[in-house]
Amino acid sequence: MAIYTVGRKRVILALLLTTVLLLTLDLRGNPVVDAVREGFSVAMRPVQAATGVVTNPIEQAWRGIVDYDDLERENQALQEQVDRLIGTAAAAEAAVIEGKELQALYSLPSLSGIETEVARVVGYAANNLDQVIEIDKGSRSGIEVGMPVVNQAGLVGKVTRVFANSARVMLVTDARYTVAVKVMSSDQAIDVVPTDTTPSGLAPDEVVAAGTTTTTTLPPGSFPTPTFPNGLPVPPTTLPSATAEPVFDENGRRLTAEEVAALEAAIIASPETAPTTSEPAGTTTPTTTTTTTVPIIEKEYGGLEGRGGFRLPQIRFVQDSPSLAELRAGDLVETAGGSESLAPPGIPVGRVLNRADRPGSGGPLLDVEINADLDRLNFVRVVLYKPLSEVGQ
Amino acid sequence: MFAAFVQGPLIRIIPVGMVLLALQRTIFVELQVDGVIIQVMMATAAAAGVAGGSERGAVVGFVFGVMFDLVEGTPLGSTAIAMTIAGAVGGLLALIAADPQWWLNALFTALGTAAGAMTIPVVRLFIGEIDPFEDRLAVVVPVVSIAAAVMSPVLVPLGRWCLRMKRPEWTRPIDNEPVT
Repeated sequence: MAIYTVGRKRVILALLLTTVLLLTLDLRGNPVVDAVREGFSVAMRPVQAATGVVTNPIEQAWRGIVDYDDLERENQALQEQVDRLIGTAAAAEAAVIEGKELQALYSLPSLSGIETEVARVVGYAANNLDQVIEIDKGSRSGIEVGMPVVNQAGLVGKVTRVFANSARVMLVTDARYTVAVKVMSSDQAIDVVPTDTTPSGLAPDEVVAAGTTTTTTLPPGSFPTPTFPNGLPVPPTTLPSATAEPVFDENGRRLTAEEVAALEAAIIASPETAPTTSEPAGTTTPTTTTTTTVPIIEKEYGGLEGRGGFRLPQIRFVQDSPSLAELRAGDLVETAGGSESLAPPGIPVGRVLNRADRPGSGGPLLDVEINADLDRLNFVRVVLYKPLSEVGQ
Repeated sequence: MFAAFVQGPLIRIIPVGMVLLALQRTIFVELQVDGVIIQVMMATAAAAGVAGGSERGAVVGFVFGVMFDLVEGTPLGSTAIAMTIAGAVGGLLALIAADPQWWLNALFTALGTAAGAMTIPVVRLFIGEIDPFEDRLAVVVPVVSIAAAVMSPVLVPLGRWCLRMKRPEWTRPIDNEPVT
């Protein structure tokens, strides 16, 4: 058995000092350390691939044992959601098209114009502190540090380290993550139906117990169209797509540029009324469809900060604005953009789940339930976006 | 120098560390207990300390920690400090018993791992991370420690093999035959 001596103590002390030295070198940025890191990652790749092949059956068996009940419950909840979404998909599609037309018409910044790169999630952090994933695309695909990462539900995180063929993405929930966001609301609280599994991992009864989720059942076809204060419909936020969406008429025919322009003119001329179905002369039952409008108000801008994997991210630096509306649970949260922000404006982040008032002038803290399910990420999309302050440098 | 490397423990520690690191990043990310990732590398460092003493445990912990930081992208040295401490603490505790039973080895491994797991947020605090002490630490440390104790019957012999050590053999002193 080893005996405790001064010599041994020196060895331990030397090792600890070496780690401090390495830490200092790495935090200050050292190309040698980066090269060693990349080289060792390359050396580890075949070992990890082989280990993955060997351990995959064990992982599958474990998942089968542990996750079976959750999977069944989630399947039922998803089926309900699918049934509900089918009813509203058609109306939402039309609203998306209208939104894109208006964005183009007013030259508004749109996510549709930003290129993206689809990547597969190949790994999660192996420690209990960091909220980091690894994707299989890197600098060879044009990915750079700082670029936002999204999936179909919304913001997932940002790229923090890039290698040639892989990159690391810090998730929104990581304690080091911060992004500028805006809080928006509609006059009518339209919220999701609580399901058995929530994106943040909270149980539905906890969500309902918090008294923050209101369920509004909308009949199919009555999906409200949000509008600007001047009455023009507001485009719902859309995730970036690689190509611009074509516009189709009711029969599925693609509209020409002139027809689209005419349609836009019709929308401007009659902002609160959907295009009237024109009936041939002689018919006696002309019909007009009026769309319900729900104004969306940008209430406040603040900073969203992650707080670890088991706590909801929070928005700080916000205040109630009596002239607009009070910040409350159910409000929508999107990225705010800005010349310095790493994320473009308009990426959906989530919904305010809870509001905690603080004494003094600190303003309230808003807990945000992230739209994206960060525990089950398979494919993500890296938005190849650079902040305006860096473009051209 | 080459001979020293070949005959020293590093030639075993590095490949074992690579395999453990691959296991840590694959199967142990999936096999979570109450949402906690079991730290098999830290447990092995502590077990090596129990098997070979604080100095050798610290060396194993340092090597494993540097490998972990290189691949995981965490600040280089941040996990290495924690694993070095895990190995050293495991070795220091093992001094209590000359020839410890298996359950004492498990206890020492668990305590060494707990020391390492608690060091990580301290290091993160020193390098400028805001509020790294999550409430979850109260769950993480016990789970990681208990898992280390459970794995110790495998990890202690593995640590001993990495360090090229043999199990100490204690023999009963031979009594002299009485002179007739």
